[in-house]
Amino acid sequence: MEKIILLIPSIPIVIAFILFFVNKKEFIPKVSIMLSSMVALLGLYGTYHVISTGTPIIGFDGLVIYNELSAILVPYVAILGLVIRKYATKYMWDEPGYKRFFVLLNFIFSAIYLLVMSNNLIVLALAWQLMSISLYLLVSFNVGSNSAVKNAKWTMIVHKGADLVFIFGVVLTYKTFGSFDLAILSEKWLSMSHSPVDNPTIFIIGLLFLIAAMMKSAIAPFHIWLPYTSEAPTPVSALMHAGVVNVGGILLNKLAYLLLLTPAVLNIAFVVGLFTAIFASLVMLVVSDIKRSLGYSTVGQMGYMIMEVGLGAFSLAIYHLMVHGIFKASLFLESGGLIKLARHDSNLPKRLTYELFWEEKIKSNSKKIFNYLAFFTILPVLVFIGVKMVLSEEFLEFNASIVILAFAWLTGTQLFLSFFKVSKSESLKVIFALVSSFVIILFTYEFVGLALEHFIYGDDALLFYEAATLNVTMVMSLVMIAAIMIIGWLFMYKQHLTDSPKAEYRSNNMKWLFYKFLVKEGHYFSILKIFKKDKA
Amino acid sequence: MIENILLFLLAAGLPYYILLEQVSVLKSKHIFIISGVLLLVAIIGSGYIVKDHGPAFVIISLLSSLFSIYRATKTTNFYKLGYHLIVVNSPFFMLFENEGMLYSLALLVSLTGIYLIAQFYEKNYGSANYHHITGITLVRPYIGTYLTFYLIALALYPPFPNSLYFLEYIFNSDPDLLWYLVIITLFFGNFFLSMRVMKKTLFGRPNSNIHYVHMTAKEKATHMFIVVLLLLLSVNGVKEMLL
Repeated sequence: MEKIILLIPSIPIVIAFILFFVNKKEFIPKVSIMLSSMVALLGLYGTYHVISTGTPIIGFDGLVIYNELSAILVPYVAILGLVIRKYATKYMWDEPGYKRFFVLLNFIFSAIYLLVMSNNLIVLALAWQLMSISLYLLVSFNVGSNSAVKNAKWTMIVHKGADLVFIFGVVLTYKTFGSFDLAILSEKWLSMSHSPVDNPTIFIIGLLFLIAAMMKSAIAPFHIWLPYTSEAPTPVSALMHAGVVNVGGILLNKLAYLLLLTPAVLNIAFVVGLFTAIFASLVMLVVSDIKRSLGYSTVGQMGYMIMEVGLGAFSLAIYHLMVHGIFKASLFLESGGLIKLARHDSNLPKRLTYELFWEEKIKSNSKKIFNYLAFFTILPVLVFIGVKMVLSEEFLEFNASIVILAFAWLTGTQLFLSFFKVSKSESLKVIFALVSSFVIILFTYEFVGLALEHFIYGDDALLFYEAATLNVTMVMSLVMIAAIMIIGWLFMYKQHLTDSPKAEYRSNNMKWLFYKFLVKEGHYFSILKIFKKDKA
Repeated sequence: MIENILLFLLAAGLPYYILLEQVSVLKSKHIFIISGVLLLVAIIGSGYIVKDHGPAFVIISLLSSLFSIYRATKTTNFYKLGYHLIVVNSPFFMLFENEGMLYSLALLVSLTGIYLIAQFYEKNYGSANYHHITGITLVRPYIGTYLTFYLIALALYPPFPNSLYFLEYIFNSDPDLLWYLVIITLFFGNFFLSMRVMKKTLFGRPNSNIHYVHMTAKEKATHMFIVVLLLLLSVNGVKEMLL
């Protein structure tokens, strides 16, 4: 009976086929939503089955599996899909190609379900490519727009590259380990991890899969496709930022045991993830286009996700991609609705948050810098230590703990700044909100992260942390984190909490160059132009 | 050896279209048909002849393929694109002993679809040139859908058989330098050529100077037959690859 759950990837294909024969426009979303809710229900039933029996559902000769990872991700994707379809019902009504949109949406969901539920590298490769082509057709949905088509082309080129790298990874995996079956491979990888592995081919395989994941998850230097695809319809943007871009994290989780054998690949993932997170977050602050800014925000979050994988916190990456997905999807869908509203009424009501944090109240007093410093450095460390002591026995055992501290702090601050415009006035509310968001995020990350870790990987989770741990002492880590936090705090303090009189302003060449570098998105396109000039 | 050289020529290991283009009585449509028929003969012939294509054959066909990719980027004619694509994919036939046959068959079926689309353009818009026939997806969804299917198949994307056979053979073969070169060339060559057509005719704003014509029921049925044929080949491809 439970084997029926394995049909989930085929249901959206059936829906797409049915939609071909639906002629009445109002029935298209109804049929799509009604049948898609079946997927959500099946997904939830599957999750219940996996949790209650503790055994995965395997079928089609072991090609497809509904395991712990699927039990978390399939209901998430299905519910996200329902929300997007419901939203698109009205939003896309006036667009040409209404039926085409719903058909394509079903194709991409089918590819995502297949990707999540695949238990075979060939099936994974097929789903990996199916997703690329569906995404291309969705991103270029507005076919009349030259820029939409051009940006879709860039998206497709990066994804095609990812497909090729992935296929090479699969070929080498088969040649080295002799199987395509992920369950068999995972067992083999786990048993091999008990003794030191000295095989450069395994490193290359790990690296190929990491590069494939980086390309599809828009990690630097392959990030450029994502910020430029915002011309796609809002529901597609929501799907892209909440679902499609996460496939890198999903892939690395599926191949987690392989990465046990290649700690160097984990370390590379950490470095590129960290770089992407910082670079994209900085670019996000300076680009003038709000849509690109949102795109860079997602790139930054993907950087965090890959960084977590690099630390061995695989399950935390899953939690991160889900939380970020929900956050970003709601942001996109809300902004789409808001734009539509604003076209009718430009006087949108002020929000409560605006009145709370934005209105000028008291002039700032920069002498209190040390108080702030204490607030934003010592307090978070104390909170973190408290949380770790309450939740985990292995207190600060691995590097991951330290980075989670920085991550929680950064995310808390970013979350706060995303939602609220911070006043230039000195306000205790701002401090309180920053610290409380930090505490909430830290608690949820630690609590849910540990729960997920236990559910997906059980006792093996510790192996990943061990594999990913760099030989850096605790003191060094703490000093580095404190330095990052102080620099970050000073930057934010200057940006938001101080008034610098214009008369005292002095030009700073370095600062200006740095700003230009960021505002030009790392001169990414300038490099391409140089090649074009040479060609001319 | 002679049989293998013959097979090499039949499967478009050399860009013989350069010579055929010089013959004034032969139009691009005829060259497309000739190339298609020769490939079909090669596919049938490969069932009887034991292929023994050394690396030299593969290297020559790879060079022909690269040249044809370049030539294909210079044309906006469906017929020309068709016979260029036959040459572009010839290294696959050479590299994979007996297995390139099904891949070439899938290629031939997809190109039959392209041929019918070319005929449709020729009949209704004066020539098989697609340069200014933009926005087909918006104005004529049926023809847009079929053309999308064929181009996706040619761009080597699943679930179409071209991609499935391509993957099956590369998963079950031993990579070497030549192997990598052929795979990368075909993987990106087919992709870029197909995307180029998509951009130029499927996408874009509809051209207000053109009266877009609907497909007749017979034309729809013919295309449906080709798509079903492709899907049947896909089923076979999935079976061969996974089971």
